[in-house]
Amino acid sequence: MKEATLRQILVVTDGCSNSGMSPVAAAALAREQGITVNVIGVIDKSELGEKGEKEIRDIAEAGGGLCDIVFPQQLAQTVQMLTRKAMTRTIHQVVNKELKEILGDSGIEELAPDKRVQVAGMVDELGEKSSLNVVMLVDTSGSMKPKLSAVQQAIHDFSISLHSRSGQSRMAVGSFPGKQKHLDIRIPWTEKVEQAHQITSDLAMSGITPTGPAIVEAIALFEQDKLPRSLQERYIDQDEEDDSNGMLRDHVF
Amino acid sequence: MTMSFKAATPDLPKHFTGKWNKKSYHVLRELGRGANGTVYLVSQGGVQRAVKVGVEGIDILMEVNVLKSTQQGRDSKVGPLLCDVDDLVVNGKACTFYAMEYLQGLQLDEYIKQEGTDWVAVMMVQLLARLDVLHQHGYIFGDLKPQNVMVTQTDKQVRLIDFGGVTKLGNAVRQFTEEYDRAFWHAGDRRAEVSYDLFSTAVMMVRLTVGTETWKNSLGDPRHTILLCDIIRKSDSLYPYREPLLKAFHGKFATAKEMRAELLAVLRDSMGAKPQKKQKKARTKGNVGAGISGLFVASLLLLAGTLYYAWFM
Repeated sequence: MKEATLRQILVVTDGCSNSGMSPVAAAALAREQGITVNVIGVIDKSELGEKGEKEIRDIAEAGGGLCDIVFPQQLAQTVQMLTRKAMTRTIHQVVNKELKEILGDSGIEELAPDKRVQVAGMVDELGEKSSLNVVMLVDTSGSMKPKLSAVQQAIHDFSISLHSRSGQSRMAVGSFPGKQKHLDIRIPWTEKVEQAHQITSDLAMSGITPTGPAIVEAIALFEQDKLPRSLQERYIDQDEEDDSNGMLRDHVF
Repeated sequence: MTMSFKAATPDLPKHFTGKWNKKSYHVLRELGRGANGTVYLVSQGGVQRAVKVGVEGIDILMEVNVLKSTQQGRDSKVGPLLCDVDDLVVNGKACTFYAMEYLQGLQLDEYIKQEGTDWVAVMMVQLLARLDVLHQHGYIFGDLKPQNVMVTQTDKQVRLIDFGGVTKLGNAVRQFTEEYDRAFWHAGDRRAEVSYDLFSTAVMMVRLTVGTETWKNSLGDPRHTILLCDIIRKSDSLYPYREPLLKAFHGKFATAKEMRAELLAVLRDSMGAKPQKKQKKARTKGNVGAGISGLFVASLLLLAGTLYYAWFM
């Protein structure tokens, strides 16, 4: 099997979307393009409510991913776990499909458990070695404010997890709503987030939560590799320019 | 622990029979929930076993894979022995499960609460022996925490349970708990190395010794091992172990065996110290001289030790 590049979008939110296209449709669109969408609901004292929970579950289902609802303290470990499990799942599906081609109609379920254990070992290794690109989408609408320090820590923490993998990993971080667009790129594609960025300052505080449009814009991030160099500017960390620091601060939390 | 609503583990029927190996199980009660599935106490042919059922078959199979790989040794007492891997059908859908030896006992934190903190060091020494076996098989445990360590009721033996975090050396740790995670304490990354487990072991030793109150009050943000050193300095029970603990925090041990040896040395000293006093009182006149000179040597050693530690801390 070829070494695959796995692509994921991870949405971190605390409530329902209320602007633009349906996030469930956006997630389905992402899945169509080979991008898995995972969702984590962060709750504090208040509950998400039935509607919020349902939306989170629906987004993950449409995006072929997983979801969880956690307290801010559990965010970091949940980010790592969901990502890994979703990866395993994707690889498992691919392996299963290939097996079906070899074995005829019966996929992995028709193999004896002993054989399946071996397949699981293989899936595990593939998961470790494959390339992984993740865009983390952080909801920064007003109610998220008290949870943002946990999110900030989780971002840094996630970068450590990615860095510990054998395979190549990259991550990018965006926040929604953005100032002009639905999504602001806070951390462009990087292999390691060196430190926890200041997330609390410079926030576009508003009641708008455009989860759907943000997912759609995040899909575009995965296409930048194919873009000519001149168009990549928006996503590239221009650390060669002296005055880029000021500009970067705009981008970074 | 997490308020998860990932498709919950399907309710098991009271009786079920494996699809492939045809073993029949009678479900007695739920034992606990892990990140990958739910564990039930069952009886199979009159023998009690623990059965783990998960939502995603692949996660369960991965656990079986490591359980199998770590059980090639004959006298492996690292975790529960694997008994069966099979499918059961719930609501027309096949679910993968595995059956293992049922370890009757208490979780390490409960055990310490019940038996007292004197046991912490003893249990850590035992745990390190188990970890050493696992490491020699090329795996680390990963998600080390008191909840994943069992003290068996009958022979007071430490066994590891929940192999969901067990990771091949060199890979990224599969599962962890922030409180015991090296990266969370800003003391390294999450690559599966022997030192990753040893770090968690050291944090666990601190955590179990000081109790929940002190633990919670002493932790600040961001977490750094300096906070742990502060706790150690203030605790009479932990202070003698400061050297091996610090070494574990800084990844200075190459093997679990090394750390075990150093903990054991301190443990022997501290155990020896108490009864010795009583012995001295009972000694006859003829032994007094030897006793005093011995005491002199001991105090010299103690002084040298203190100076060394003062420098070390």
